[in-house]
Amino acid sequence: MYKLILPFRYLVKKRITLLAVLAVALCVFVVIVVMTVLSGLTSGIKDKYHSFIGDCVVGSKSLVGFVYYEEFLDRLESAEFVQAASPVIKSPVLVNVKMSADRMYTNRMGQLMGIDPIRHSRVTGFGKWLKHHRQNVSKVFTSPDEPNLPGCVSVHAALGWLADANADDTVPKITFDITSLPLTGKGALARAGMGLINTRSFYVTDIAPVGLWRFDRDTIYVSFEEAQALCGMNLGPKRINVIHIKFKPDVDLQIGRDKVTELWDDFVKTTANREYGDLLTQVKVKSWKSYQSDVISALDTERMMMLFIFSLIGFIAVFIVFVVVYMIVSHKSKDIGILKSIGASSVNVAAVFLGFGFLVGVFGAGIGALGGWQFLVHINSIETWLFEHFKFRLWDQSVYPIGSIPNQIEAKLFSGIIVFGITACLIGALVPSIQAARRRPIETLQVSQL
Amino acid sequence: MLKLLLWLRYLRKKKIVFLSIAAVALSCTLLIVVSSLFNGFIEAVERASAFLEGDITIYPGEFVEGYEPFLDRLEHLPGVEATAPFSWGCGSLLHLGQGNVRPVFFLGVEPVRCAKLSDLKVSLLGAAASTAPPSFEVPGYPNDVGVWVGIGLLAEPDEQTDEYDFEAIKKLIGRQVVLTTGRWAIEESEDLPGDSSGNQTLSASDFKRVTTKLRIADIFFTGHYWYDHLLYLPIGEVNKILHPEESETVVNAMGIRLSQPADAPRIVQQVKAYWSRFAEEDLGWEPARIQFTEIQTARQNRALGLEIIRKQMRVLMLILGVICSVGVLLVFCIFYMIVMTKQKDIAIIKSCGASNGSVVSIFLGFGICVGIAGSAIGAVLGYIVIRNINTFENWIRIIFGLKLWRSSVYIFDKIPDRVDWSWSCWIILAAVAASALGALIPAILAAWTKPVDILRYE
Repeated sequence: MYKLILPFRYLVKKRITLLAVLAVALCVFVVIVVMTVLSGLTSGIKDKYHSFIGDCVVGSKSLVGFVYYEEFLDRLESAEFVQAASPVIKSPVLVNVKMSADRMYTNRMGQLMGIDPIRHSRVTGFGKWLKHHRQNVSKVFTSPDEPNLPGCVSVHAALGWLADANADDTVPKITFDITSLPLTGKGALARAGMGLINTRSFYVTDIAPVGLWRFDRDTIYVSFEEAQALCGMNLGPKRINVIHIKFKPDVDLQIGRDKVTELWDDFVKTTANREYGDLLTQVKVKSWKSYQSDVISALDTERMMMLFIFSLIGFIAVFIVFVVVYMIVSHKSKDIGILKSIGASSVNVAAVFLGFGFLVGVFGAGIGALGGWQFLVHINSIETWLFEHFKFRLWDQSVYPIGSIPNQIEAKLFSGIIVFGITACLIGALVPSIQAARRRPIETLQVSQL
Repeated sequence: MLKLLLWLRYLRKKKIVFLSIAAVALSCTLLIVVSSLFNGFIEAVERASAFLEGDITIYPGEFVEGYEPFLDRLEHLPGVEATAPFSWGCGSLLHLGQGNVRPVFFLGVEPVRCAKLSDLKVSLLGAAASTAPPSFEVPGYPNDVGVWVGIGLLAEPDEQTDEYDFEAIKKLIGRQVVLTTGRWAIEESEDLPGDSSGNQTLSASDFKRVTTKLRIADIFFTGHYWYDHLLYLPIGEVNKILHPEESETVVNAMGIRLSQPADAPRIVQQVKAYWSRFAEEDLGWEPARIQFTEIQTARQNRALGLEIIRKQMRVLMLILGVICSVGVLLVFCIFYMIVMTKQKDIAIIKSCGASNGSVVSIFLGFGICVGIAGSAIGAVLGYIVIRNINTFENWIRIIFGLKLWRSSVYIFDKIPDRVDWSWSCWIILAAVAASALGALIPAILAAWTKPVDILRYE
């Protein structure tokens, strides 16, 4: 019983313990707030990448692309682990933005994506990003305003090429003249020497911002057939650049990717000897994470570095708990002597002080977690208040791809930090507890010591 | 003397004091490393923005001809060391070999003038190895047009090390590449291919493909992601591609290198005045047209982006500072413990005639000493970490297979490794002040100690 009573008594009676509780609470509070915001930002960005790419990608970096994709698509779509697949033409293009007969912005660099809107919506978030055709994705590339022109879908940033483009959701009445550099299946320039370039006018029918500058700055969606013709990928055996794949919900990402790799290897074995079969050897199967590994791994690394920095600082909390418990052990030598003289074992004495450290951890981490949770709940209103009163904008929406400060508390992270705080306190209390356990009653209770 | 003796004694006898020194050192190291990394990055961005185009840039907003007299006038301005014209091209496609086509932006430069503006020779793999000045001449191909190709266009850095295979890349010098871009094939095309506001009806068929065969004269490598992904052409060639109708060379940017030290804001004002006069008198521009010209320092060019980084740095430093302030509590705890256990010493000192102020100064001084020792160790550790940060990063890569720094993400290929001493000094001062603050209350408690209460026999 004394193992329960004494730690509580020391916690209440010794005011210095409040300092240890305060230190632990402060550390837990800051770590919870920072890591929640960082995790929210990281997972928000990752979700956007995932949504843009799908689960898996089969593609070639070469602009020439690869052939016989229809046969592979059949194989993919009949596989039990695949929910949907979307063939895509990807090519850098030159874009001339025509606002009216006499206003034009020329030679902007763009990234053309030729898609089947229905298939692509099944794999990626394309359908959700559309501002005006969400319920009618199949009609996204047609416009009643310009029935003679094929439609295209741009994004805010691409429209931002224009000086007077605004940020609302209205689709400006503009035309993109898109110029590509068609390549033959052998990689040579197609139709070279004819003077005229492969240019086609597209009327902007909708906008579909992903929320990632990397894609939003220059992506233009057009219909699959238009893109294939524009990029010369319908010359000879038809070609594409990438297949985006979505797995069924219960399929693990790595397992799904491995299965696609197996399917692809089998496909290459049976097809490589056909005309342009060598293009298939340049194709790689990647999960969405490895497809954008430079960004995804950088996000993970930054998060890890932050955790590392915080764990270093956590040492200071350990030091404080150590000092406080050490001080209490020094002051309570008589208690230790009495406890031992009435038969308490060394382990029980150590347990008293470890229990004290545990209590400091529980209270400190509890207060810190509670404070952190409340702070996170109100973080966006605090940020608004700061901006209204001090013009201090902590979260600039033009910089971060997420509209408001992420404050979704992850139970795993939350409990992990609390456990870490309590463990730090136990580590801090360990050495003084062992010292207390080693004390002899004869040393502490002799008259000279009293 | 007594104080010094007591400090040394407490330090020797109370080993726990070393914990507070360690805590202060740890906090200092962390803050110095973080601030140096951020400031190093900001400085690198500022340096890089001035690297190619000089300390002051002039963007007229359109192509101008007859710029030579203007640049000559500028070179006579006190504080101006060199000037150079540039011709920024548009989006293009670069055919590097079979099936290897890259989107690219190109820049027209004059090698001789540009070399005065920046350390071009060091950035060109071929020129750096020879004594000849940078040029677009391709050995063995006197009639071909040479180009400098950004290294990032030719090769991908190794996934593990983020480093290029320079020897393999150098072998590409002399190889033919094809640049494809477009231009408007109409007569009155003064405003094209820049942003146009003409009154002609333009159609897609007026847009002509321009294909230019070029040969790689050198490889451009700066360690800066953006510059390493550009294509550099002779300024005259850009003129031929984009403005074949122009007999004179036209440019759309000019750069100025200032001598050190120079008053950049003052020179910017002078340049603006010169430009207004030149545009009005020599180019015949209306004032409304002149006002679209952007003349600013390289630092101003990057001000918005850098302000965002600075804000992130301030927030991070605030967060770390708050957590490091826990160190104050640690110092307080340790000093409180020392005061509690050394009450007899204090009482004896006071009974010998020491004033309250003297007792306070013993513990406060000791706290300051702890702060000085801790921050000194922290500064040394911070210096070692920052100066060797690229080595540490490489070790982490080798041991854990984790590449922390990639040029494709962080622009530069090396982590900034310069210690920011101005921030470091503030951090050291703050650490000493924090230690003194932590020791203050225990010191006051010590001063309040009454010898009669402590030393009486009961």
